[in-house]
Amino acid sequence: MRSHFSHEIAFIAHRRQFLAVSVALVALALVGLVVRGLVLGIEFRGGTQIDFNGTGDVTIEQLRSALADAGEQDPTVQTTLANGVEGFLVRSDTTDATVATQHAAQTAEELGLPSDSYTVTTIGPDWGADITCSSLAAFFVAILAIIAYVSIRYEFKMSIAAVVALVHDLVITVGVYAWTQIPVTPNVVAALLTIMGYSLYDTVVEFNRTNENAKQLKDGVHRTYYQICNFSINEVFIRSINTTLTTIVPVICMLVIGGETLKGFAFALLVGELLGTYSSFAVASPLLAVWKTHEPKWAKLEAKYGASASAAAPAKGVE
Amino acid sequence: MARKNDPSGQPSGVDRWKASEGTQGRAPRDSRGGRRRVSRDRRRYLTTLVVLLVALGVCVFGFTPLGEKITQGLDIRGGVSVIMTATTSDGGTPSSEDMATATQIVQQRVNSLGANEASVQQQGSSSILVQIPGATDAESTVAAIGQTGHLEFVRLDEIGDADALAKLNAGTEGVKLKEGTYTAFLDGSSITQTSVGQASNASTGYYAVNITFNDEGTKEFAEVTKELAPTNGRIAIVLDGVVESAPAVQSEITDGKVSITGQFTLDKATSLKTVLDSGSLPVTLTMSESRVVGPTLGQDSLNQGIVAIGVGVALVVVYLFFFYRGLGLLTMGSLAVFGIIYLGMLALLSSFGAFSLTLPGLAGIVLTTGSAADSSILVLERFREEIRMGRSIKNASVSGSKHGVATSLDADVVTLVTALALFFVAVGSVKGFGLTLALGVVCDVITMFCFKVPMLRLLAAGPIERHPGFWGVAADVAEGRKKTEAARSAAVKGGARDA
Repeated sequence: MRSHFSHEIAFIAHRRQFLAVSVALVALALVGLVVRGLVLGIEFRGGTQIDFNGTGDVTIEQLRSALADAGEQDPTVQTTLANGVEGFLVRSDTTDATVATQHAAQTAEELGLPSDSYTVTTIGPDWGADITCSSLAAFFVAILAIIAYVSIRYEFKMSIAAVVALVHDLVITVGVYAWTQIPVTPNVVAALLTIMGYSLYDTVVEFNRTNENAKQLKDGVHRTYYQICNFSINEVFIRSINTTLTTIVPVICMLVIGGETLKGFAFALLVGELLGTYSSFAVASPLLAVWKTHEPKWAKLEAKYGASASAAAPAKGVE
Repeated sequence: MARKNDPSGQPSGVDRWKASEGTQGRAPRDSRGGRRRVSRDRRRYLTTLVVLLVALGVCVFGFTPLGEKITQGLDIRGGVSVIMTATTSDGGTPSSEDMATATQIVQQRVNSLGANEASVQQQGSSSILVQIPGATDAESTVAAIGQTGHLEFVRLDEIGDADALAKLNAGTEGVKLKEGTYTAFLDGSSITQTSVGQASNASTGYYAVNITFNDEGTKEFAEVTKELAPTNGRIAIVLDGVVESAPAVQSEITDGKVSITGQFTLDKATSLKTVLDSGSLPVTLTMSESRVVGPTLGQDSLNQGIVAIGVGVALVVVYLFFFYRGLGLLTMGSLAVFGIIYLGMLALLSSFGAFSLTLPGLAGIVLTTGSAADSSILVLERFREEIRMGRSIKNASVSGSKHGVATSLDADVVTLVTALALFFVAVGSVKGFGLTLALGVVCDVITMFCFKVPMLRLLAAGPIERHPGFWGVAADVAEGRKKTEAARSAAVKGGARDA
């Protein structure tokens, strides 16, 4: 098996198409957010969630009437199936933990279910705001720290390009949640923050190579920044594919056989990781290349060698 | 690294650079690097591996059996987890002193439930996290934590329960009074202020607890003490039906300022103050989050998670072996080393009570395993790339691992920044996730320096050179050779690329 290409793939030459796709996706995500909005889990709204597990033959009507008997007002009930075991997911607006626990116990008793067959999660009304605030704070602290690190380690323009790619990934992932109406829980927030790490990781690996190549070729005046970027992407592309596969396989496993808790998490990760890999070569590098080419040094090179070189397929690498 | 460009070669950017790497890069080391140098490196790598092996042994010893050595979080073991948020009466954020008091009070309530592994800790500026693993009677547990303490002052001569009275007179601590057997003359709502100070005869070094009552309390207390003072009668301080202290009345107290003395150490005085405070809590505690998890449920999710991880890792290993052949073994080895160190660290943190495995944490572990595989891939890709540039396998292993490690260190720093931000700024389950992520990065770095790099270099110096086919680098070697030849015969330029 060969681990590199006999021809360079022209990523940068298609930068306009890539960026157009990304802009379209981001726009679509924003439309989704505005039109459909996010379904927030009880953690953000306050309320109670009761998971009954191993309910066997209990029907949804029986459960509803048992809940009503226990005094649970107007709950939404969903059936669940985890590893062939039937269960129910009950959501209601009860924000008093004592009351909710009591209702759950009473319901279980009426249906003859064992006392360890359910979980009750109750979130007070203000807690969601706290979680959201602290998560947002974590997010901004991390972004600033990363911009600082990448600026010091490489350069400012790279840090901005990387962060733009990151925001691109996050917005689209959140957009997917808006369109699919899957509830957003704190686990999803954790997943989003992880996506942030992934997206940056991938971009940094690519920029690391671009940076190295650009330095190597400082006096090799026959290369434009576009060409260097494209070459660098090609050099790390196999790694990107392999890495994405190795990280995505366990995530897919979590999605398929993991329990209910892990599923919400895994879905966000799956979407985010695919985007993270895509945005490195389709958003971050093209943006960086365009921006860098505006620098006088690289602009001169572009004027001299760029037009013809990128018009003719840069793939050949022969002059 | 020697990267001075050979001016004789036709300059053509990347091509020239790559070609020059092939010819120039290896020359200095080969001519200079005698056998001694190599064997010294070898010895160093071997030492590192032996040290690592010992460390791994310690880890394995430390984390077996896994189920016991790694603390399981509540969402896995089952139990009750409650987050309470404190607010002051005017809706503001409570002071840190108030929070400390509130935390102590909650601790006392939880202790009174008799749960032995319960933990109560302050989180953030105004939240208290209570975790009671394995709590079987969730309903009453949640109710008990949620109640406000009821503090009462009772005259000993108004306690009807003879048993309890006898115990009190014998000096037993924590006597429980049966409901209805006593009448209180005052309750905690009359207290306006409590403090701990030196006892008035300070020379003894003992402490006193000072209480200030409101008008009604002052009046009531004056009456009772007037009656009790001549006989030095005792007043029981009762919290939720349990006698916390039963001081004797020394004199009539008319100004509503009571000082309880009695050879208290600072700790004892503070804990009595806490009791008094719980009846007049400076903050209001409300339950923000309450989770009651059935024990079998959590175990099921853990098992599902472990199966998911197992299947995931198996698939990754098969893929890597397919793609990298023998070098895939190196990645498998790295993953194994990574896993062992990781589990060892988790066990260590568990033993200090600093870690418990939650489901989001489990997801964090899955993810970092992914990035551990990635750093292997980075190094291997770089290694093969350098071979393709025309370097010898041995030199490629040295410079390839150096560059690969540099790249993955950069990427690791970025992940670490995210993980630490999560750990320090976020609350709740997100926090546990950040911790596992950060630990994973640390383990990855250790694996990189102590296993991946020395192992690759050792292997390169022997087995890989002898059997490039098995190790999956035959094609790269062939290409590297072509490139070197092409660079040597300066006439060929175009051929250098399209190998």
